[in-house]
Amino acid sequence: MDPSMGVNSVTISVEGMTCISCVQTIEQQIGKVNGVHHIKVSLEEKSATIIYDPKLQTPKTLRDAIDDMGFDAILYNPNPVP
Amino acid sequence: MPKHEFSVDMTCEGCADAVSRVLNKLGGVEFSIDLPNKKVCIESEHSSDTLLATLNKTGKAVSYLGPK
Repeated sequence: MDPSMGVNSVTISVEGMTCISCVQTIEQQIGKVNGVHHIKVSLEEKSATIIYDPKLQTPKTLRDAIDDMGFDAILYNPNPVP
Repeated sequence: MPKHEFSVDMTCEGCADAVSRVLNKLGGVEFSIDLPNKKVCIESEHSSDTLLATLNKTGKAVSYLGPK
């Protein structure tokens, strides 16, 4: 990712999703968050990959947003190498 | 404690678990979840608005059915 473009990506491990509707709910909710460009949630890998604007969000705030929805969210690359 | 009944569009165990987690985070609530009927019955001193806002966090369609 090119930081000058104002985008970064993070993969967050999400526990507690059991069906496609959980996936869609997370995609819809987090997709609405300011500074989130794109989100892809994988049910098989139990993870969410988010492309976001680092000026508006951090991996921590995104994790908290998922956590707030009632899912166990864990950052497994808290300091991603660009 | 007052009892409130809500309709929450839950489709699976995961959805119901998510609802439990947000309610537990709020605290001060006793609740039961009826997954087949998509209903959540909450006993709490919190106002129905607070409970509704909490349930809305899950991103599911929520409506207040009234006191019970």
